[in-house]
Amino acid sequence: MLDLFMTIFFMIIKVIGITLILLLLPVPLTWLERKVAGHIQQRLGPMRVGWHGLLQPIADGIKLLTKEDNIPIYADKTLFKLAPIISLIPPFLVFVAVPFGEDVTLFGRKTGLYISDMNIGLLYIFAVAGLEVYGVILGGWASNSKYALLGGLRCCAQLISYEIPLGFSVMGVIMLTGSMSLLDIVEAQSQIWNVVYQPIGFFVFLVAGIAEAQRIPFDLAEAEGDLGSGYHTEYSGMRFAFFMLTEYIVMLTVSVLIVLLFFGGWNGPFLPPIVWFILKVGFFVYLFMWFRFTFPRYRYDQLMSIGWKVLLPLSLANILITGIFLA
Amino acid sequence: MYRENWLERLEKRYRWIGFTLLLDLIDGLSLTLSYLFSKTITMQYPDREKWIPYPRFRGHHFLRKFENGDTKCVACELCARICPCQCIKVVPYEDEKGNRRPLIYDVNTARCLFCGLCEDACPVEAIALGQHYEFSAYDSKKLLVGKDVLMKMPGKTEEGGKVVRARLVAGEKVFAEPQGKEGYHWWNRIRRR
Ligand code: SF4
Ligand code: SF4
Repeated sequence: MLDLFMTIFFMIIKVIGITLILLLLPVPLTWLERKVAGHIQQRLGPMRVGWHGLLQPIADGIKLLTKEDNIPIYADKTLFKLAPIISLIPPFLVFVAVPFGEDVTLFGRKTGLYISDMNIGLLYIFAVAGLEVYGVILGGWASNSKYALLGGLRCCAQLISYEIPLGFSVMGVIMLTGSMSLLDIVEAQSQIWNVVYQPIGFFVFLVAGIAEAQRIPFDLAEAEGDLGSGYHTEYSGMRFAFFMLTEYIVMLTVSVLIVLLFFGGWNGPFLPPIVWFILKVGFFVYLFMWFRFTFPRYRYDQLMSIGWKVLLPLSLANILITGIFLA
Repeated sequence: MYRENWLERLEKRYRWIGFTLLLDLIDGLSLTLSYLFSKTITMQYPDREKWIPYPRFRGHHFLRKFENGDTKCVACELCARICPCQCIKVVPYEDEKGNRRPLIYDVNTARCLFCGLCEDACPVEAIALGQHYEFSAYDSKKLLVGKDVLMKMPGKTEEGGKVVRARLVAGEKVFAEPQGKEGYHWWNRIRRR
């Protein structure tokens, strides 16, 4: 009885912990993004609120909270209100299946640093992550504005084209490990990281992941230059903040997945596992920001041809090559 | 005629190799990375730094004084006459020694376009435009300054053009107070590749 109680108690603690971490992480991430942007452009970035502008995201949060929450007259009100929440939930759900480390002993009990170790973890993650696009499409549709609608449509087409190479690119990893559980995949990399065996798979996953996270150079859905700001043009205040939050959590998800699938997860010498994990994820988050302030946005037709003519054949070739080597 | 060397010819011929290895993307990334670790050109005005203008800068007016504290102005009204905005008002009077002196000397800095013609016109070099530039106000009436204020305004410094350390003073008047004279020229920090 006590055992069951403790299990449930730990589970609740873990769920609350991960939710809090995910809700709070975008705060330092926005700060970091603005700092990286600033220094790449020889500016300083936020500097005035707190030490080196560290409290700037909090000031921005207060600003967003107190802003007028505007709903356009011709908008579909229910969908308009629903869309940010629909897009916010899937990124949180993804983290149910994401492990952060191996078992640790807490209060004399062994417990894993994950909520659930599903044996179809990867499948679940791709299925749930794909749902995020509904929020974006609904938001674009409900706004009843041509920019928002175009943004939603682009996002839809983009995600359909890039889910496929994204899914195919991890196939090699699954073939190597023989399991879809992320825990097994990480354990299999304790000697040599998957990126050594799967460089093509990693490349395809990285590019498709950036597209999936709607980051530059693939942020066609919110291209400021041609679409105002795409699907969230009409959003303001807290609802806009929800979309922002989603964007950052998805970026984090993609970084975490890259680390787990190709860079050995928390495996690493000398340092404790969780430190390795944070360092690796941090590097990829930084990489995304670095890309954002280096590359221009791709044109829509270029986006499509990269997805279908480059990434898809590459990922298929990767599966073939992996199969040949394994056989 | 310009002949390409063998490397350039090779590059042109086998451009696809570079594209396949993403050399162009790597080139861009390394450029932004080098910028990331270079000095910034942000001037942290008004919190930490302040730009001191050159002596030729045309800022707030000031009236030069004699040693005894009297203004040098002889109230000839040439400045008022040349001013394109008609923002100088001079009312002369005769003092006990029979000299022509200004009774009223008002400059409406809200209308002034800081052309410096008054400075050029003055025969005794009394009025001049200094380096002070932090005098914005909520009420344009506050920008109408009289003789007493003009005589207390800071004059020109010997040198300028540098960004120096400063401290923000936010009292009745808000301005950045320079700390010391050591500074740098901001344009020296622009990175060019
Ligand atoms: S600077 Fe020009 S506009 Fe201003 S007071 Fe002098 S003459 Fe008039
Ligand atoms: S400031 Fe110079 S030009 Fe103007 S009235 Fe006085 S002496 Fe004449």
